[in-house]
Amino acid sequence: MDESELTVIIGLEIHVQLATKSKLFCSCGTEYQTAEGPNENVCPTCTAQPGTKPFDMNAYAFEQALKIALALGCDKINNSVTMQRKHYFYPDSPSNYQRTSTPIAEGGSLAGVSITEVHIEEDPGRYDLKTGIVDYNRAGVPLLEIVTDPVITSPDHARKFLEELRAVLDYLGAARDVESGSMRADANLSIKGHNRVEVKNINSFHGVFSALTYETSRQKNMVKNGLEPVRETRHFDEDRDITLGLRKKESVDDYRYIPDPDVQPIAITKEQLKIISDSLPELPRKKMERFKKQYGASDDESFALCMELAMADAFERIARKVDAKLAAGFMRGTLKKQLNFRSYDYAKVTAKEQFITELLVMLSQKKVTDKVAERILIDMMDGKTGASTAEQYAQSAGLLGVQSSDELSAIIENAVEQNPKAVEDFKAGNGKALQFIAGSVMRLSRGKADPAAVQEILKKRLSK
Amino acid sequence: MEISKTLSTTNAIKSGRLTASANLEAKIARVEKYDSAVKAFIETYFDDARAAAKQVDAKIAAGKPIGKLAGLVVAVKNVLAVKDKRLTCASKMLENYVAPYDAAVIEKLRAEDAVIIGSLNCDEFACGSDNTKSAFFATVNPVSFFDEKGEITNTSTSDKYVPGGSSGASAAAVAAGFCDLALATDTGGSIRCPAAFCGVTGFKPTYGTVSRYGMGDMAMSFEQIGPMAPDAYGCALLLSVISGKDYRDSTTAKTIAVSEPTASFATSTKKIRIGVPKEYFEGANPAVAKAVKDAIGRFAAKGGCELVDISIPAVKFGIPAYYLLVYSEFASAMQKYDGLKYGAKPESNDELVPTVSKVRTANIGKECKRRIMLGTYITTKEHKDAWYTKALKARAYVRAQFDDALEKCDFIVGPTMPNLAWKIGEKATDPLQSYLEDVLTVPANLCGLPAGSVPCAKIGKLPVGLQVIGKRGADYETMSLMAQIESSLGC
Repeated sequence: MDESELTVIIGLEIHVQLATKSKLFCSCGTEYQTAEGPNENVCPTCTAQPGTKPFDMNAYAFEQALKIALALGCDKINNSVTMQRKHYFYPDSPSNYQRTSTPIAEGGSLAGVSITEVHIEEDPGRYDLKTGIVDYNRAGVPLLEIVTDPVITSPDHARKFLEELRAVLDYLGAARDVESGSMRADANLSIKGHNRVEVKNINSFHGVFSALTYETSRQKNMVKNGLEPVRETRHFDEDRDITLGLRKKESVDDYRYIPDPDVQPIAITKEQLKIISDSLPELPRKKMERFKKQYGASDDESFALCMELAMADAFERIARKVDAKLAAGFMRGTLKKQLNFRSYDYAKVTAKEQFITELLVMLSQKKVTDKVAERILIDMMDGKTGASTAEQYAQSAGLLGVQSSDELSAIIENAVEQNPKAVEDFKAGNGKALQFIAGSVMRLSRGKADPAAVQEILKKRLSK
Repeated sequence: MEISKTLSTTNAIKSGRLTASANLEAKIARVEKYDSAVKAFIETYFDDARAAAKQVDAKIAAGKPIGKLAGLVVAVKNVLAVKDKRLTCASKMLENYVAPYDAAVIEKLRAEDAVIIGSLNCDEFACGSDNTKSAFFATVNPVSFFDEKGEITNTSTSDKYVPGGSSGASAAAVAAGFCDLALATDTGGSIRCPAAFCGVTGFKPTYGTVSRYGMGDMAMSFEQIGPMAPDAYGCALLLSVISGKDYRDSTTAKTIAVSEPTASFATSTKKIRIGVPKEYFEGANPAVAKAVKDAIGRFAAKGGCELVDISIPAVKFGIPAYYLLVYSEFASAMQKYDGLKYGAKPESNDELVPTVSKVRTANIGKECKRRIMLGTYITTKEHKDAWYTKALKARAYVRAQFDDALEKCDFIVGPTMPNLAWKIGEKATDPLQSYLEDVLTVPANLCGLPAGSVPCAKIGKLPVGLQVIGKRGADYETMSLMAQIESSLGC
């Protein structure tokens, strides 16, 4: 069978920690990562000591959940939500049940992925199998679970969806930093017409892509070879980027859900929804459309700019001072490349906006080349530029200015003399040799040469 | 005639005629003399109590403001957390568990200068109706030892009656004069049954009136902490202290604290309609039914109320609906006792499953095991619709009929218990027989209504309790009616 005929179907269950100061049902803080040791961020309630009850629910957490549901475009918001007890025995739960709500909202979609439902639940504690240590510092932190329909068609599609989801969460400020382990996912993946496999323990956005990529090729290979994937739950091993079989799914888990008698049903009113809905910011999708119209940004540019609110906002301010298209191109290309290389969010780079503006001004005035601009940007990110403005730094580093064609010709002569072998190769018909010499020219000019001009002059020179 | 023993004691302490310490010493003396026979206490806190009483006396001597319960000796059912004391829930599973915090009601007792004398026995995790299901020992109804004047004289009798349950020891401690007031809990009658059997007054508040923060779970949607006292005034005083909103128990969210009893507490202010449901008398022991009817008649004869014959057919669904839901909630609550976190571990170093099994087998009593297993069974996917979901519907049905009845009248009265206290060991074998004793008390829990029991007669030496059920939130009015009944009957 041709592999391309095999269709993959993926559904995701994404857990994100809501951005709140305290846990869902007690007043312990949510900054469990900074606790001094295991079980330092706990109280009688979140360790389920005999006699404790859930406190009044953290209303702010619920509001954050509603915000997200509305931002995902969920069209059915339930007017009453019940907290349920999901029973299971595992050391990470102090009571051996987890509080999890009935769906808060249904419908909605993002990046072409329809949302089945969203609901709120309590994060369990952590159980370290190796040391046997049970740590309840995290127990009770509010989680939102977003369940998608099984409509995702590839790991790439999943990545696109998650990127946009992350942007939505970032715009709302409703979730905790999603890359610091506060986002987790389970995935259901099957090859159309074959058994479904559940993959658990995916602990980052990037992990989703790796796990799905591995699992897709594993299952496709099985099917191609006439094997049927086993219906099972698999565990994602992040260190090795593979999934491992955990247990066969012979029977359905029975969590014996009952409404939690200790928690009154939560009412959602139209008035409350209107207030939240009116307070929603412009969301990524809308901003992208606007950037295209208002700034003439391309699809790729507006997507890259709008995936992080801090960057989109910075772009708009910068675009008031320099040519918007130049700014969009630079930020989407040069800047984004350097951010990705460092796995940085835009927000993580300090003292950048003014500097980038200055850099773009120099670029537009042709005081520096693209190459030099990138060089200066890298130095800025590496903290080498200190308190200087971009121009001061360029000046002091001797990077200012674009070489005149006379200067350039001299450098080219120099480069040709230094690379007789490459010149010979080029003359013998090896096109790549030209690039080699051009690189040498750029180095000699310390990036100040205009690459297009270098190519042109160099070709003329060598064809003499 | 004194309108209230509790009021007399507080007045004596506040005026300086009785010191808190002297009041406490008198109670301690009785505990030391008689508790070996009654077996009410799991643990006494005499040292702490003496220190607390001294502080109250010092405050009074210095003319400082004092709390509403100043110097009153309170004993506490051992399902309520008292910081740094054992919270056993009368179970081996928690025999050595020390509470790291105070229950909300204990904080309030302390804030109002009560003197806490110790923790009281009960059925294991409050599962029982006669206090014989404590993992430690059975408490004996003090009336077993009473002479005609109600004084303990013959502690060597072989006719030992149960004190009722599950808060048997709370009623027994009040009846035996071990304390001025006691805190108890009521999930399906656990305050009212022992009040009736021991001849004291007990009150289960409207669901959500008292914070359950710090109360060991049995069935969470049914239970309330409530007062037990020699009279309704004592109950009302204690409830005024422990009631009110508490963010640590979200079911109290809409609660307003019950007012402190006023001077006119035991007098009627307006004409009331009292419903007498025929179902409350049909299955009852004829002698009990007659005693309660007579008492109601005598009270009504004094005027101020109108008796209305009513019928609440849904009473018959009370027991099945109640027990099925109790099993379900109890099984859920008991999941935390997984054999790893609580309970003495076995000596041998077994694998996980045998360890869990051994710890749970050894540390959970038979009645609790029965409830856990049944509750687990009826909430599984396969059986949930047939049992759990149906029971929820039955609960709604019972609730609707009681709400209807309470449209037609202000209160419902009837016997608290269909029978008199039985002898220890009599109902040990058949759990169903024991469950049926709750038929008249569970409706108030199914419906979240306030309900109390006052002593209204004696048959031989065994007291009979009269139950008053009020409208949701009418806790003060219900206790006021109980006080009026007490003063009209003079018992």
